[in-house]
Amino acid sequence: MKRYAERNRALLHFIVVPTLLLTVALLGGLRIDAPTKQFIFIAPPLVTLVMAILLGLLFVRAGAIDLRSWLAIDQPALTNLAHLLTLIALVFASAQAFNSVLPESGLLHWMFSFFFLWTLWTNQFSSFDPRRLLRSIMVLFGTAFVLKHLLAAGLYAPEGGLLRRLVSTLLQGIAIDVPAFAPVTGYISFFALVLYVVALLLIAPAPAPPPASEVNQIAVREDALPE
Amino acid sequence: MQRTAIQIAGLIWTLVYGSIIVWIYATEPRSFKDVATNSQVAAGTYEINQEKFNNGLALFRRDQFRAARDEWTSADPAQRDARTQFYLAYACYREGWGRVYYDDQLFKQGLEAVNRAINLAPNGSLTVDDPDLQMHTAAELKAELEQGTERNWKDLNPLKLFRQRK
Repeated sequence: MKRYAERNRALLHFIVVPTLLLTVALLGGLRIDAPTKQFIFIAPPLVTLVMAILLGLLFVRAGAIDLRSWLAIDQPALTNLAHLLTLIALVFASAQAFNSVLPESGLLHWMFSFFFLWTLWTNQFSSFDPRRLLRSIMVLFGTAFVLKHLLAAGLYAPEGGLLRRLVSTLLQGIAIDVPAFAPVTGYISFFALVLYVVALLLIAPAPAPPPASEVNQIAVREDALPE
Repeated sequence: MQRTAIQIAGLIWTLVYGSIIVWIYATEPRSFKDVATNSQVAAGTYEINQEKFNNGLALFRRDQFRAARDEWTSADPAQRDARTQFYLAYACYREGWGRVYYDDQLFKQGLEAVNRAINLAPNGSLTVDDPDLQMHTAAELKAELEQGTERNWKDLNPLKLFRQRK
């Protein structure tokens, strides 16, 4: 029973979590062009990488990721390398999660970027625990998702109604440039965000140490070495 | 032992999957068909559709340049075959050529295609032995297309009306 638990934990930690994070990194920048239904891959803009770094710092500060347990001198190099790759995948997944809820261009892009940066910066000085941080991230991404994929996309849809005309009149002269993407883009973004949150839930603050049997084996081998 | 095996498998999988993602973002495929084509290019198994190429050639010889270009574009979707790109450029040249003026748009397209052909050709030199053509090298074609896009006083020379299309 314990062996299964250890194996499943290792599978989750070394295969499932990186796969989820990399899938977010893949889908976060994917849009579907409305007229041609073709893929458009948008690489993470520089501002999203800054946001991802700030979010990473927040994870460390809140204790959601204990860096000293993830990368330690007394761990095998293979484990450290696997952990490093997972952390890199986490940074890129965060960048792409921001990318998926950030309008691509125009005034909205800069407004959203400013509010994201403002929130992440002020959060650096707040006291968080991992659970509260996760809730805060869910609210942050959820709000941005609703604003971009439901409100902004609805307002600027070609078949938009009274609300669209009202906003267009109010914001006349202001360059709010919202590219026309197919509605499936919203579903892809939603799926990517769900995967991101699931991955964050699965990431342990401190990875489980290797089972005692393996530690003993290493100790025995070290004893067998000639002095 | 099992944990180490899972770790190694996870490491390899993460590297492979990460590389695939980087490759996708670098090549920017437009559809699943593009993904397949790009994979063939990456694997070195990419080949043009010879039947479509021959159809394009037949159309080109009947002076149906636009149709020929369409055929060649679909014969070489990844734009990786130097010979097809050369013919594409030639079709742009012949269609865009005029006694009084040249079609700038077509000449620019032709220039892009011939540059691709030169980049794809080994050592950057490409020769096509086709008796129906008057320019057999990519360099000649490029020079002709470049001259066509330049503006100078020689354009006002009335004797230019007697020049011949190559």
